[in-house]
Amino acid sequence: MTITLTVNGVSYTRDAPENKTLLHFLREDLGLTGTKEGCGMGECGACTVFLNGRTVNSCCVLAVEADGAAIETIEGEAGPAGLSEIQKAFDRNHAVQCGFCTPGMILSVKELLKAVPKPTVEEIKEAIEGNFCRCTGYEQIVEAVLDVTGQGPKGRLDHV
Amino acid sequence: MVHEFQYRAPRSLSELLALMAEHGTSAKVLAGGTDLLPNIRMGIAKPAFVVDCKRLPDADRLVFSPAEGLRMGHGVTISAVLRDRTIREKFPLLAEAAHELASHQVRNRATVAGNVVNASPCSDMALPLLCLDAVAVLTSTSGERTVSFREFFTGPKATVMKPGEFLAEIRVPASSADRKGRYAKLKRVKGHDLGIVGVMLASSPEGLRVAVSSAAPTPVLVSGIGRGLDAEAVDALVQKAIKPIDDVRCTAEYRRYMVGAYIRRLLPEVSR
Repeated sequence: MTITLTVNGVSYTRDAPENKTLLHFLREDLGLTGTKEGCGMGECGACTVFLNGRTVNSCCVLAVEADGAAIETIEGEAGPAGLSEIQKAFDRNHAVQCGFCTPGMILSVKELLKAVPKPTVEEIKEAIEGNFCRCTGYEQIVEAVLDVTGQGPKGRLDHV
Repeated sequence: MVHEFQYRAPRSLSELLALMAEHGTSAKVLAGGTDLLPNIRMGIAKPAFVVDCKRLPDADRLVFSPAEGLRMGHGVTISAVLRDRTIREKFPLLAEAAHELASHQVRNRATVAGNVVNASPCSDMALPLLCLDAVAVLTSTSGERTVSFREFFTGPKATVMKPGEFLAEIRVPASSADRKGRYAKLKRVKGHDLGIVGVMLASSPEGLRVAVSSAAPTPVLVSGIGRGLDAEAVDALVQKAIKPIDDVRCTAEYRRYMVGAYIRRLLPEVSR
């Protein structure tokens, strides 16, 4: 089936097999490999992308379902001026170790901050409950979000 | 995915129903896809036709009126339930269950209708729908019928729905508005893992109601429980209605124990 969709503001028209997931379409057909495949079952959140303004697990969306949709991936996060504020805060707070969960984690944080500009720790934890991180223990990620929302120190390094 | 299928995204209900009638059990409706697509990937589901219902007009309609109560289109997502102010104010039990369902990304995609059509014994949304006397509107090329959720579930992953039928809408009567209650769900990690056991207590005109998930082949409702009963007596009634099994998550004995524990914990909050 031929589909047309925009990804990070760029329009693409491609043929997509009906059984191909949006995740594999982004990675294999568009070469956007920032979106990761972890479990492939909608559990780990490594494949998180925005679909029409809301985060979804792209492993649980068919590419053909995204016909006409607007997608945002981690590749759209940094602008011409460099990293986004969320990305900078992750960097400052050592919220990245192996980096595999980071694209999804950052998009989940972005979704949270659109709705709740100054989230509590509890709200942060709930917003990232669908994103597995096996390196950081999550503490530095929570601190990065507190940092970027002006509720915590800039780049506390006492975990390292 | 290895399994190949044909994808259809009908733009009208009649087109969808015609596809369902034509292809019968070889067609599967694709709503949020958070169950169907992993199942296809794992080889558990092998539909020849995948019929996407999200392009139907009014799929995500969510309206309340004192005359008709709450009407939820089949495309209403779990997140939409959580965002809806009328639901939060008038049907808080729906929001409470929605909040416990999976993770943020899944809630953005999964639908209330899909959650009940899958008919998992651990369905989160089944419990408030049972407590609130909700009905499912089932349509097919041969007509429309409404089925109370008390009769809807027939076994694990089994419902009264016939091949070719489509759950078009869920209705919650206006008379169920403002029913108070509480929900507790046992799980290892919020956002992941399936429920080990879930217990919802709710008030109703004829007495206390207790709805239980993951403790029988279907979600269970015990209604008409006398208001004055203490937690031990309520638990005794509920224990007679459930039939938990030992499985990979825990033993039947532990499920029975936790149902009682949650009743003891929640009853004082609901009786207040």
